[in-house]
Amino acid sequence: MNPIFTIALREVTRLRRRFGEGMSPLTVVLLLAALGLSAFTLRDRVTLGSGLYRVGLSGSAPSIQDNRFAVVNVDSAQGQALLAQKTIDALIIDARVLYRQDSKSQYAVGALKRYLERSELARLSTDYTYDLTFPLRVGISYLDPLPAPAPPGDGATSAATPAAPDLATQADDMVIIPSLMTPEAPFGQVLLALIYILPVTFTSIFFTSSFMDEKANRRLTILLSAPISPFQIIVGKMLPYGIFALAMTALIAILTHANVLLALAIYVPTILFIFAIYLMVPLIYRTFKDTTFISMLVTTLTTAYLVFPAMFAGVSDLAFMSPLTLAVKMYRDEPFTWREYLFPSLPMTAIFCLAVFSATRLLNEEYLMGYRAISRKLADAIYLVMDRTHPYLSVGLLSLLSIPVIYLGQLIILAIASNLPPGLMLALTLFAAAVVEEIFKSMGIVALVEHGIVHSYRQLLGLAFLSGLGFLIGEKLLLFFSVSMVSETSVSNVLFSSSGLLVVPLLAHFAFTTLTTVLYAKVKLRYTIAILLTAILHALYNWALTGGLQ
Amino acid sequence: MSGFASIVRRELASVLRDRTMLIAIVIQLFIASFSSALLIGMLSLYDPDSIGSYGGLNLTVALVTQGNPANPADPLAGLLRDRGVKVLPFASLDEAQAAFNTGKVRAILALPAAIQANAGLVQMKLYLPRTQATAALVQNTLQDPLKRYEVYLRQQRGLEVRYTDLKGQAPTAFEFIYSVLIPILMFFPAFVAGSMVVDSISEEVEGNTLATLLSAPVSLLGVVSAKVSAAVLLAVIQAAAWLGLLSLNRIAIQNTAWVLLLAGLIAALSAVSSACVVCLFKDRERSQFIYSLGLLFAAGLSSLLNISPVQTISRLAVGDPYVGWLDVLLYAAVLAGLGLVLLRGVRKLAI
Repeated sequence: MNPIFTIALREVTRLRRRFGEGMSPLTVVLLLAALGLSAFTLRDRVTLGSGLYRVGLSGSAPSIQDNRFAVVNVDSAQGQALLAQKTIDALIIDARVLYRQDSKSQYAVGALKRYLERSELARLSTDYTYDLTFPLRVGISYLDPLPAPAPPGDGATSAATPAAPDLATQADDMVIIPSLMTPEAPFGQVLLALIYILPVTFTSIFFTSSFMDEKANRRLTILLSAPISPFQIIVGKMLPYGIFALAMTALIAILTHANVLLALAIYVPTILFIFAIYLMVPLIYRTFKDTTFISMLVTTLTTAYLVFPAMFAGVSDLAFMSPLTLAVKMYRDEPFTWREYLFPSLPMTAIFCLAVFSATRLLNEEYLMGYRAISRKLADAIYLVMDRTHPYLSVGLLSLLSIPVIYLGQLIILAIASNLPPGLMLALTLFAAAVVEEIFKSMGIVALVEHGIVHSYRQLLGLAFLSGLGFLIGEKLLLFFSVSMVSETSVSNVLFSSSGLLVVPLLAHFAFTTLTTVLYAKVKLRYTIAILLTAILHALYNWALTGGLQ
Repeated sequence: MSGFASIVRRELASVLRDRTMLIAIVIQLFIASFSSALLIGMLSLYDPDSIGSYGGLNLTVALVTQGNPANPADPLAGLLRDRGVKVLPFASLDEAQAAFNTGKVRAILALPAAIQANAGLVQMKLYLPRTQATAALVQNTLQDPLKRYEVYLRQQRGLEVRYTDLKGQAPTAFEFIYSVLIPILMFFPAFVAGSMVVDSISEEVEGNTLATLLSAPVSLLGVVSAKVSAAVLLAVIQAAAWLGLLSLNRIAIQNTAWVLLLAGLIAALSAVSSACVVCLFKDRERSQFIYSLGLLFAAGLSSLLNISPVQTISRLAVGDPYVGWLDVLLYAAVLAGLGLVLLRGVRKLAI
């Protein structure tokens, strides 16, 4: 039998043994109860801020069915007394709304305004005919923004006919009634798309534990001495969880009436991505608490990375950096293109491949058992991932292959910074992006210097050049895929494209990487300080490129 | 008692030494800044009441009156300008289209040639750029002035519309702070505390160091409760720090003492229940799994029974006079019950 399947079976046996000891009924009951309850509350639409406002009702005021408002029925005088005592935040007497000037009362009125607007519409539409209640119709048509060569002839003729003024004889794409239109924030669909992620995250507890178990029981040594490659161990351990994740994806797709194959296509890269990240956790942990905290951090960051862009599905093309946007599109029955599919999927898959490769290099006892600071552990990991006999090739490839990681990191920075004031946002994004880039370009060289493999200026220059070259090639490949997608925001242009010439950016990458490594290896500055200095220069350079010096 | 105190001290020292606590604080900072960034992003793109209020709205719309010089009493142009939209009047659609093609205007709003102000339907046309992103932004921006125009038309038709002059302040940010941000910041440390207890106890069991620990003058119950106390203490310190930071940001929090007590009680509930779980299963893998499932279950159950600590803490923080110490002490009663369970459960750990 293929060793991969042997490992996979061993993993299943491990789980069976662990969960077979009299706890399975309890687990199943708890699991079902938790899923049922959360589905129940999700279906019930969790309304936040329940009971945040106290409102007094009196006379012919409409009843309030919104759980943000806790309602007190009062008579007019009693209500006014309560309002003055600040026991209630607003008081509705017939058609009047009474309030105070303090902010809490003002917020209550702001919230009431929206609610009452809607309840008035409901009242009007029962009291009057539909056309009287909604006297305004807006027909919407979409125009191509490209400059038309000449005003269309039939446009002029139809404009002359007073009854149906129609631009270029366009029929309405839709007709809306403004007061009935609700903005299309994809809350519901994003929530639905996120449900797919939940079982994958839960699975990762076991996946991570599996490696930790081997480590704790020192069985890894035996396993590694068997004629099985680290790659087979990793893939074998991942297999059962991968199959489970795929089955859950298909199940959720069936339950939510989505196209199963499409859902699988959308979620496979995401599942791989999450596995990749959780594969790294047991490799760098030292204590159980480490694992918990790192897993929490990872879960928070990935959830943010998946949710944030998807909330802007249909509003900004940058939304496609999250695969959940594809799922939102799927649930809206809207098509998406191959490019839009590959935009989030390729980097995630690439990160998975990179993680599996790194893990095969790190899966040795000496590395796993060592107790050191996390930064030290990461530095060792980088050193182990490289092939010491081919330092030049390793450094170049390391830069090239880390592009997807850098890219995801920079997109997270962009997403977070995009809500700061514009000036600060640009400065922060440029600087943070430069820090990320410089770390990835120089870390391989620094690891080699640390282990005494590299010492001369000539070697440093050669390595810095190859690192810059690898980075540039990766960057251009990425650009090839993403330029049409992210061209909308000017900041992404700064991050991903350069002035057109290939020589200038290559020289710049070379110069900055050389600077970092020389500062570290020869001037003997601390690595963090070397990075900060170079990143400041790099950020200034990018700023100048984008016209900051004009 | 000195054994108990020394274990608490050891736990806190290990957390500080490993700098793992730093990660937890980074997570909380990230969640807070991230969710408010998300809120502002959502508001500025989707919420018709807030679009433009976060700056950066630069929208010019062509208003085509079809050779019919607009009725001076017609308020549409004024309503648009009130919203911060620049309005360029045009007499014909062709001229407006030319302006659209040169990029002078981003959308065209065409009025019918004749508007009957007091009867019949008013049918307008809105031409939007095909780019989805821009179209959505323009449409969301125009929604509020168009709604106001609708109210005007209703009034012209003799309909009595109530509550049209309400102003107040847009409540979304306020609701977010009190119903999302404060509960997250107060309860996330509690969630961390439970996980910490699972890790700390299961590590002693799996690493066979529990026996060494017991050679000190302290009972098994002492060890477990010391670990629980250390975790709860850390959670309370974090919650207190967040309350301090929030008030530095001029976010007023009422009933501070009760809010902090509730945060501490929830942390204790989470830590004690996770200690019970780890006494039963003894290993990290199953304990963490059951603990996470249990949290999910508890969250579902509490929203089902309508006794939600999230709701209690946001009402306390906002200063709702109908919520007070009785609601907080309810959780103390639950905690006492769980404490009894732990008292019995600890014996299982010895076997």
